[in-house]
Amino acid sequence: MSATRSPKVADRVAPKGSEPQPQRPRKRRNDDDDGPDFSSLLRAWIESHRASWTDSLRRLGKQPIGSFFTCLVMAVALSLPMGLSLLLKNVERLGGSWQRAAQISLYLDLDAGEREGQALVTQIKGLSGVAQAEFVSREQALGEFQQQSGLGEALKELPENPLPGVVVVTPLEIDKAALESLRQQLAELPKVQQAQLDLVWVERLAAILKLGDRFVFGLTLLLVSALLLVIGNTIRLHIENRRIEIEVIKLVGGTDSYVRRPFLYMGALYGFGAGIFAWGILAFGLDWLNDAVTGLSGLYGSDFALGGVPVADGLSLLLGAVLLGYIGAWIAVWRHLRELAPR
Amino acid sequence: MIRFEQVAKRYPNGHVGLHELSFRVRRGEFLFVTGHSGAGKSTLLRLLLAMERPTSGKLLLAGQDLGQITNAQIPFLRRQIGVVFQNHQLLFDRTVFNNIALPLQILGLSKPEIAKKVDSALERVALADKAELYPGDLSTGQQQRVGIARAIVHQPALLLADEPTGNLDPRLAAEIMGVFEDINRLGTSVLIASHDLALIARMRHRMLTLQRGRLIGDGEAGQ
Repeated sequence: MSATRSPKVADRVAPKGSEPQPQRPRKRRNDDDDGPDFSSLLRAWIESHRASWTDSLRRLGKQPIGSFFTCLVMAVALSLPMGLSLLLKNVERLGGSWQRAAQISLYLDLDAGEREGQALVTQIKGLSGVAQAEFVSREQALGEFQQQSGLGEALKELPENPLPGVVVVTPLEIDKAALESLRQQLAELPKVQQAQLDLVWVERLAAILKLGDRFVFGLTLLLVSALLLVIGNTIRLHIENRRIEIEVIKLVGGTDSYVRRPFLYMGALYGFGAGIFAWGILAFGLDWLNDAVTGLSGLYGSDFALGGVPVADGLSLLLGAVLLGYIGAWIAVWRHLRELAPR
Repeated sequence: MIRFEQVAKRYPNGHVGLHELSFRVRRGEFLFVTGHSGAGKSTLLRLLLAMERPTSGKLLLAGQDLGQITNAQIPFLRRQIGVVFQNHQLLFDRTVFNNIALPLQILGLSKPEIAKKVDSALERVALADKAELYPGDLSTGQQQRVGIARAIVHQPALLLADEPTGNLDPRLAAEIMGVFEDINRLGTSVLIASHDLALIARMRHRMLTLQRGRLIGDGEAGQ
């Protein structure tokens, strides 16, 4: 073979598994040698990282089934907390619409008629923190009660209508303290005998959502730990398979960061694959659930439907997965690199 | 090039690898280190590669004190050294070319530079036509020459070889030694650990003789 390599052969020089790294400026052998300049160091650094990426990709590609299942396991672990979190967000959205329907009922004096009731509505609408106010007259109230209670005939026997007129106030926002303040303010209005605010169900829903949040947080911690173990174990196996190569690399002058780099990129690639799979699983899963949810909500006269995976959440999932893969690999390499001293 | 000053190596289990060894190796010198198994040849090489540190004494390599060297400096020290192993330590999933290119890739050389230097190294070990093959396709002697090519491709100041002819027949062993002499003539210091006294005697280079970690002889081989 001649000393001058043909272009075709030279192209093949970046071999499989090659990961060049910048060379520390060495002692000059003669006065004409200025050592590596910045641009050549930068080029070497870029080439080193590029080669590490392609080497990691190539190694994952060489074991497609193993890589696929590793990514899938990670994806399932990622999609569980993320899926629950998205479901909770949907419930919060649903709860929010109910909350907006939270109302304060003002029971008026029995002698308050239609005119006083409407005047009160006008006054209440002018208050801050009020979204809507509606007057229900004594007659309307009785009619509704007769219909809902099934005591129509019995109620007709009463000498007079016992039900007061009611003003139903819809607040602008659901803040317990603000609502209580508004209730007190409304209770002091003329002709108002009692102002009733029922927030028990709102508080129960908030408590359930808080519990759900905590559950998701705990599950996330648990599954993140599991993910780190999965990626760590996978990278450990890769390290074991390349033990001789690593020992040789260290003997011919490879630094720890040079040895570490392809494994870190491999972890990041596993994370990326897992993130993509998890996004897909969530998008498919929510879409699949949505048919049943819209059917159920339709029965309750609601048009509520599950939202999909927002792009921002999907991107966060992807970024988080890549970071987890990278961190898991870093921990695994850090733990095992000490054992990889040349023997 | 190399200076051992009362260098001793004791292991935690009480075994003494080297007893206060002192000698010097000049730049460009060709040197054998010989002795029976357990004499301390491998310990000496491991100290020079900073795989181990001396327990006491001073070991200087190209002016650098290997007793004081930091872990971060070790890779850069090793880039000045070429190593040949008895068992070749080749990567069997890489071609001959890529095995030899490894130290250059670590140095971050450009592709054309790597191609040029690997070609040159292959020429020197007479394997120019084997670049595309895998180590498994080669004979033991050819594999050893690939190992030598990898050790010299980055033009190290010092070449260390640990029993490089241990698995070779006498004809191949002599051929490999010839390759080392060629490399030495180009200015590289060569230190070979070997117990093949017959082969060493024919080559008439300086020879250090170790016995149970002590230096018991320092003179020209064959004398």
